[in-house]
Amino acid sequence: MATNPMHQFQVHRIGPEIKIIGIDLSFTNASLFMLLSATAICALLFLGTREKKIIPDKLQLISEMFYNFIAKMINDTAGSKAKPYFPFIFSLFMFVLFCNMLGMLPYSFTVTSHIIVTLLMAIFIFIAVTVIGFLKHGFGYLKLFVPSGVPTLLLPLITIIEIISYLSRPVSLSVRLFANMMAGHTMLKVFGGFVISLGMLGGWLPLGFSVALTGLEILVAFLQAYVFAILTCIYLNDALNLHH
Amino acid sequence: MSNLNDLKTRLKIAREKIKKSSKNEDNNRNSSSMGSAFKLSTDLVAHVAVGTIIGFILDNWFDTKPWLIIIFFFLGSIAGILNVIKTAKKMQEKE
Repeated sequence: MATNPMHQFQVHRIGPEIKIIGIDLSFTNASLFMLLSATAICALLFLGTREKKIIPDKLQLISEMFYNFIAKMINDTAGSKAKPYFPFIFSLFMFVLFCNMLGMLPYSFTVTSHIIVTLLMAIFIFIAVTVIGFLKHGFGYLKLFVPSGVPTLLLPLITIIEIISYLSRPVSLSVRLFANMMAGHTMLKVFGGFVISLGMLGGWLPLGFSVALTGLEILVAFLQAYVFAILTCIYLNDALNLHH
Repeated sequence: MSNLNDLKTRLKIAREKIKKSSKNEDNNRNSSSMGSAFKLSTDLVAHVAVGTIIGFILDNWFDTKPWLIIIFFFLGSIAGILNVIKTAKKMQEKE
């Protein structure tokens, strides 16, 4: 069982079974790792901002770096109007980043390699952005689907195409994160399995690959969190500053 | 106080250094271009998939079995390709 590359994605129950109105609400390893990443984020930020020194220590430096990184990203992509949404995007980025990074530890569980987790976040963003758009612009938000400067004959076709591309946002947002994490971790496990099965004679080559892939996976873990956050900013920008 | 003054001069030097070298920006652009590569590849697939799903749902709704799914498959592909062209144009404008 241990050599099965998909075994690492199995969700299993920790502790007693909890059932409320027929819905299974037991504590699983997925919930454990979500809780761990949330705790790690809180610990980092609390400890980092406990003493506000002029010359920061390492933890303060890291937490300020994250803050500046996200603040700059929001300012660059969505403008100053998006400032009130900073807490949401910051926590989103930190949660995805920490889930990805905790998944890189051996024997751990990657929460973001399950499509239900990423799809839920993506659908929440999608609905939130749509609601914000309608609140800010009323029915004028529907102009997003009718770009200006298109010949009248083509307009129905373009509108359908725009609607398809609007609806595909949550799908591409969630599938990107889920597929990258799942593919990367499966590949790591497959190469790890090669090391065992080829033994002392031929196992060195896949071992080297494994080391290289681990580096790549850490890059992907960061990059996917970054892409997730920056796309949320871009969608927010569409909802806040309507221009076509 | 001497500590603070020392920090001031060091900050000044650091700021000038940042102004001089745009290496930091280059680094940023590199990671964001890899990010947009990920975005483009999944967007293309997602548009086609969503188009096909919409066609499938509408087909069941209106009972026009094979036709709408075919039409919406192509519409989805067009949407995907148009989206890639749009993003590529935006990236070129930035440079």
